[in-house]
Amino acid sequence: MDGDEIITIEHVSKQYGKLRALDDVSLGVRRGEVMMIIGPSGSGKSTLLRCINHLEVPDSGHVVVDGVEVNEERGNINAVRAEVGMVFQRFELFPHLSVLDNICLAQQQVRQRSRRESEAVAKDLLDKVGIPEKITAYPAQLSGGQQQRVAIARALAMQPKVMLFDEPTSALDPEMIKEVLDVMVDLAAEGMTMVVVSHEMGFARNAAHRVVFMADGKIVEQGPPEDLFGAPQHERTKLFLSRILH
Amino acid sequence: MAGTRSDVQLTRRRMAWSRHLDTVPWWLVIVLAAGALVLFSMLSNERYVNALSYLIRGVRLTVFISVVSYLVALVLGLIAGLGRVSRNKLINTIATLYVEVVRGVPLLVIIIYAHYVVAPFLGTNRQPVFSGIMALSFGYGAYLAEVFRAGIESIERGQGEAARSLGMSYRQSMRYIILPQAIRRVLPPLGNDFVAMLKDSSLVSAIAISELTKLGQIEAARTFDTFRTYNAVAFLYLTLTLILSLGVRYLERISSVGRR
Repeated sequence: MDGDEIITIEHVSKQYGKLRALDDVSLGVRRGEVMMIIGPSGSGKSTLLRCINHLEVPDSGHVVVDGVEVNEERGNINAVRAEVGMVFQRFELFPHLSVLDNICLAQQQVRQRSRRESEAVAKDLLDKVGIPEKITAYPAQLSGGQQQRVAIARALAMQPKVMLFDEPTSALDPEMIKEVLDVMVDLAAEGMTMVVVSHEMGFARNAAHRVVFMADGKIVEQGPPEDLFGAPQHERTKLFLSRILH
Repeated sequence: MAGTRSDVQLTRRRMAWSRHLDTVPWWLVIVLAAGALVLFSMLSNERYVNALSYLIRGVRLTVFISVVSYLVALVLGLIAGLGRVSRNKLINTIATLYVEVVRGVPLLVIIIYAHYVVAPFLGTNRQPVFSGIMALSFGYGAYLAEVFRAGIESIERGQGEAARSLGMSYRQSMRYIILPQAIRRVLPPLGNDFVAMLKDSSLVSAIAISELTKLGQIEAARTFDTFRTYNAVAFLYLTLTLILSLGVRYLERISSVGRR
């Protein structure tokens, strides 16, 4: 994880009406790093994550992913997105497609892989996330945890350089959270660069290299999980942690 | 004890029966029975038989005009609907203009316009059927555009975001993710508009197309039997629209299978 910076965010600001969602945020993610972003709701953490693959367009500032400026002309945006996998809070599997087709579609359409090649990749990934038997199922037939694991497999099928997770376990029943976190921990252990917006302390302790605490559109403090959770420097951080750690 | 058990069984059986009765589409049973009765009494009356045998040619033309116009309207509506959700200002403006202007003008006026203004210009004024199809598809295209737009906008934003985050272009995400779901969702209103168009196709009688309504007018003028002639006309329209409604229901049922 001592690589170069794969994501560079410089002075990014974003305003929704009167709300300043992001206020001059700068942040770098190194290749192989697992970064967690925590903070109260409305702190701008999801907005920041979505700026990385241009689902949100910053009002000002720069986002560079693997040497490509994301903020500019539309021409390169699809290429950047193909290199950045994203996992959503509400899974967002395509309900009209089978699990197999969910994983194969973008491989064929964006990566121009053959059907056979895509299916082979899909099967490997379903093994990896532990649900090979669901290959012909439709999303509505799966539990939340299974859906989220398929969503992770779908993103991984593009062989992304970075994976973004936007509260991947918030919409799950408690007993399904672990199966998703296990997949994420494995992924982190393999050296995937990950940016995770989540409050799962277990994941933070087991897998995260750095935890970033955001509030009111700003980064308040950041550091290794043991420092940030063990000895937070700012009052705002202490207050937040006391609330979520009970 | 034995008596009690058989009582329970009897009640159960009765409940099962009443559940069956609840699932019967009673409106259809009544319509079919009334229809059979009407058809029977018509066929045993010579004047009705004459009217029906004359009108049946009009049914063929009505169905032809409706089907062709509807297919063209589907294409027009899909294009205009996509234009309505486009972020391209020019495309969006053209599509909105089309929808708002056409929806604000009575279909009959569009039909007359098509035949007496557009057709002479195109040199097709000897083919009123062509004018009729042109007008119906142009008019209904605007309605269907709104149906498609509503369908596209009803798909959760996250679906498009998921597709885009995988690197798909706007066009790819529309084609493979948004439209397949949107079209499934708007099948019922699309079907209803087909039924509506079949009825509105009677308006092309105004430009001397011998479809069902026009033949009804001719027959009524010839026999002075307005009552029976239009009974027969209404009966034939109702038969067509009922068959279509049943088709729409069936489509609705199969398209809702496997949905969340």
